Amino acid sequence: MKTTAAARAPGTDLSSAGTDGRALARRRLVLWLAPPMLWFTAFMLVPYAIMFFYSLGSMDYVDFVPGFSPANYVKALTAEPYPDVLLKSTVNGLLTALLSSVVAFPLAMWMAFGLASPRRRALVSILVVLPWWASYLVKVYAWKTILGAEGVLNTALMAIGLVDEPLSVLLYNRFAVVLTLTYIFTPFAVLSIYAQLERIPRSLVEAARNLGATDGEIFRRIILPISVPGVLAGAVITFSLGFGDFVTPSLVGGPDDLMITNLVVNLLGVSMDRPLGSAIGVVVIAFSVLLLMAANAAERRTQVRF
Amino acid sequence: MRRAARLATAIGLVLFTASTAHAAKGRLNVLTWEGYADPSFVKPFTEKTGCQVKATYVGSGDEFVAKMVGSGNIFDLVSPPNDIARRLVDAGAVEPVDLAKAPVTTKFFPVFQRPAWLEKDGKTWGVPYSFGIVRIVVDADKVKNPPASVAVLWSDAYKGKVSLWDDMETLYMAARYAGITNVYEMTDAELATTKQTLLKGKPLVKKYWFSAGELDTLYNSGEVVASNAWETTLVNAWKAGRNLVEIVPTEGRGGWSDSWMVAKGAGKNPCTYQWIEWVSSPEMQALGHAVTGFGYSHPGMIDKLDPTTRGYLKRLQMDDPAVLSKVSWWQPVKRRNVYLETWNQVKAAKKL
Repeated sequence: MKTTAAARAPGTDLSSAGTDGRALARRRLVLWLAPPMLWFTAFMLVPYAIMFFYSLGSMDYVDFVPGFSPANYVKALTAEPYPDVLLKSTVNGLLTALLSSVVAFPLAMWMAFGLASPRRRALVSILVVLPWWASYLVKVYAWKTILGAEGVLNTALMAIGLVDEPLSVLLYNRFAVVLTLTYIFTPFAVLSIYAQLERIPRSLVEAARNLGATDGEIFRRIILPISVPGVLAGAVITFSLGFGDFVTPSLVGGPDDLMITNLVVNLLGVSMDRPLGSAIGVVVIAFSVLLLMAANAAERRTQVRF
Repeated sequence: MRRAARLATAIGLVLFTASTAHAAKGRLNVLTWEGYADPSFVKPFTEKTGCQVKATYVGSGDEFVAKMVGSGNIFDLVSPPNDIARRLVDAGAVEPVDLAKAPVTTKFFPVFQRPAWLEKDGKTWGVPYSFGIVRIVVDADKVKNPPASVAVLWSDAYKGKVSLWDDMETLYMAARYAGITNVYEMTDAELATTKQTLLKGKPLVKKYWFSAGELDTLYNSGEVVASNAWETTLVNAWKAGRNLVEIVPTEGRGGWSDSWMVAKGAGKNPCTYQWIEWVSSPEMQALGHAVTGFGYSHPGMIDKLDPTTRGYLKRLQMDDPAVLSKVSWWQPVKRRNVYLETWNQVKAAKKL
């Protein structure tokens, strides 16, 4: 009895100290969270609210007229050329995400399973990110230099006699846009897929092999299913970056390679139609939120715990 | 869009920080294009007048409006193009200029003395500075016996070798080609006609160019043999010994003209009119030309250039008042958003 009471007493003390500790921890948490929350409110929520406010109004020549009209949204979703361009941007974003994943996967596999020493993995990781040390614009121009009529590729093709005159199908079209976007954003897919593959315990692969699984089976039934959340995370990033890009289409795109962000730039920069530009912005943000929610749900469902 | 080339500048302007020293004596805040407040003529200005010049650069014409309307009198001077200038007047962001305080303007080319786009309520609202005529440029080695018409840009013979400026000017040009007379106040029907005209030519287009440097590259590599272009494209080609020539189309040529305008209340700043007088002089405009390659409002500018450059400008007839008077100078477009939408529809359309 005594022992129990004695044992209980300090226990009670501990638990009350624990409550105090939790309250303290909560206060500290508020303190720690306040700056990011303030930042988030001031630089994300408030601007979004302002943009939403603008999107409901209209322009009377040079003056903005506040209002509560859905007209700009109707226009953004139905009037030529906005929905077509939105669709085109979506397709370009999806192609970028798909191709980046396809290119990134073998590289990430090799980094996770082909490189034994951590130092080599670190080195290859740096090599993957290295292109990002160069300016984005420079890389887009580099592709112009590669694909152009007097470009590296055409010169080489003509030198070895495969073609008689420069191929004009390489540059100034959708192919060039998607290729450039894929090249630029692939590192994000590599790192994201690699981070996921790296988590797969070697023992899992070895156990499968001991039980007689072939390499193909190991890939299909272990590595591929486990990699899905990493592929999804990478695809969300590459899709968003590809979808929202406007420099690449204006530099290497053809006459009809117009993306939704080019339209927004035009609306704000040439016709001063802030309300319509804002409405398109809100549509894009809403679209992104839905996409992120879907991707999150899919990632949670496919995530494997070890 | 005109100087969308300065994309980098535009991005840099996100970091735009405004100075508030408007009232301080001996200071001038100008909102302008890059090259319009170049150290080569700003430094001697400061030495002579004691006025410090702080320049903020814009990446697109709209920024003049965006920064002037609701920026609370930060700037003293702005230099918008002729299709934007009226918006600043209508928005009440600028005040009329007192031409008596800038006597040099009486020496300008006749077309730049109180031009229509700077007149409202019997007052003058700006002083013309730089200008350019939009030229139809062809590669004479590949385009033989071109017609004296913009029709060359709609000729099947050059399919896939045509470029067009990604700018409202191309819309005006197509409208002129379609026989529309007042291209700055088009009706819906006229805009529809213009759109069809542009769509008809679209299969020939390799690329809508957005910076003069980009167009130069397109001509250099032979990817393009015909386009509408700035003078700098011709001059650069001539300097490099390439055979680019201009076609003077019977349909007429569009022209842009930037003007210095005085922000509301800035006329009191003693530096303001000193600046206008300074940058309107032939000597300073010649220094400006060295940076931008543009034409300038004072005819005397051309005589201050080196003989080679002068030769180019004379070949371009930039010194001929009669030629300048025939240019279709851009006018304020009330329905700018409808124009832009039409242009975007053309660009978004699939090749036929």
